[in-house]
Amino acid sequence: MTSKANSEYEVLSPWAEVAPIVQRGISPRVPDLAGKRVGLYLDAKRAAEPILNVVEARLKEKFPVARFSRFANLAKNEEVVKQDIKAEFEDWVKGVDAVVTAFGD
Amino acid sequence: METRNKPTVTLVNKGFFNDAGSASSGKGMPALRVVPLELPYETNVMEDIEPAVNAVMDDIIAGLTKPLTEEEASPKQKEAEKPQRIIFRGSLEEVNRFFYQRGWADGLPIIPPTEEAVAEMLTGTDLPPDHLLGKLISRSGKATVEKIAINAVMAGALPTYMPVLIAGVRLLLESEPGFMGFCTFGFSTGSWAPFWIINGPVRNEIYVNNSSGALSPGNIANAAIGRAMGLIIKNIGGVRKGVEDMGVMGNPLKYTMVISENEEESPWEPLQVEYGYQKEDSTVTVSYPNGYLQHWPYNANDEGILCAVLDNIPRAMRCTTIMTPAHARILARAGWSKESIKTFISEYARGSTSHFGNGGEGAAPDGLTKGKAPVPGAEQTPRIADPSFIRIIVAGGPGAFIAHVVGGGATPGKKQTQKLELPANWDKLVARYKNVVPTYARY
Repeated sequence: MTSKANSEYEVLSPWAEVAPIVQRGISPRVPDLAGKRVGLYLDAKRAAEPILNVVEARLKEKFPVARFSRFANLAKNEEVVKQDIKAEFEDWVKGVDAVVTAFGD
Repeated sequence: METRNKPTVTLVNKGFFNDAGSASSGKGMPALRVVPLELPYETNVMEDIEPAVNAVMDDIIAGLTKPLTEEEASPKQKEAEKPQRIIFRGSLEEVNRFFYQRGWADGLPIIPPTEEAVAEMLTGTDLPPDHLLGKLISRSGKATVEKIAINAVMAGALPTYMPVLIAGVRLLLESEPGFMGFCTFGFSTGSWAPFWIINGPVRNEIYVNNSSGALSPGNIANAAIGRAMGLIIKNIGGVRKGVEDMGVMGNPLKYTMVISENEEESPWEPLQVEYGYQKEDSTVTVSYPNGYLQHWPYNANDEGILCAVLDNIPRAMRCTTIMTPAHARILARAGWSKESIKTFISEYARGSTSHFGNGGEGAAPDGLTKGKAPVPGAEQTPRIADPSFIRIIVAGGPGAFIAHVVGGGATPGKKQTQKLELPANWDKLVARYKNVVPTYARY
């Protein structure tokens, strides 16, 4: 550390530069859930499954003709597309029209 | 899911709403529709879950069906964020206040990173200041050698620590993505903190304590290397407490947790050799504990040491056990190797499986009442089932204590050790700072 005669310090920024990340929009919504295939996606945390159980029950009451399917990523802190279940996940996504994701923290 | 053109609504606990916003923004999708739930954390109690979900059903349905706004469909692009190089001028107190108020410090005073101090720090590497090692999560900040040096100055590091810091950043960058989250304080509520073990000749040249009070304050290398890595994680990785770092309780080990192995007094091969490097190689090895405990042995023989370990080692995903040189020699004399001790621990360190099952991940069975505890003779499960997740090192001073670094152990199959690259002027550099050691008054 070198100080100036007047005990002032001219200091460099520790905060890193960031290259901009391309900002993408979200997907168009479905007009209605009636008759749609709703995907329910859950992680490994304890609350996720019971949350989706309630979501499914309520949606069934409101949209009796909707269909539901589930996909669970039970590996903690690992992205699903970087695991050996990637192909299974991709097939599952193709088969749904909209998704409710629950993180069970 | 959104990148596959599926409309999605994401349910998170209300306490993680900001974290979810940071994650979606960091992934380039700032308009992700997130619905917060008012719930106890990690609950499976239906009487809490049902009303919480019922209360947001309209939001869930709207999240999937309400047409997109213009901003949601096509968000504004961000410009490159390039902070000014010279950021402030002021007195010691003013510099400290300026940095602290921007969230760039760790609560302790910092050394002002002046041009001169940073230039001196850069003598610790042959890499140019603008050399880019990679981008650190969560903010994808550019980890240049100069930014590492600036944070190192702030932490009070010496230039001789630069090879360790650069190797440490490489470890953060090259870990598996999910695993990397632990070391950058993000991804988890478990308050995991990086624990750095230094091996090889460098540890003596830069005085990384491995003797009395190795993990206590009082040695610059042990203090400043860990502190600098913490500041790098904050200021390059952009990790903010309560946003990306969701550690529930927090962890004092995040200030610093650095040790070296006492290779000279160990009867066993040092850690870097165990991991495939040469004894002459200097390395840094990382793991992510969230706790630390110590106990003493039942007797000064192998049975007394290892039975105490069996009783005291906690249930964890992984662990580093630190044996003193004296205990290590007793064990080696009785024929124990690091490998046989790991196997012994994984087979015989067991605990009662409670009513909730191993690790508390299961549902509470019906009929659980307050005050119930595992009964004698209940099922016993291994505390650390896989011996390859256990790490054993030798360090510590005179006396009979054993330490366990809980949750921070070996991670087979993932990057955990990095060899240090020393600058060409290394010997001169070491000579320049060799007198920077505490010399206590005699009394």
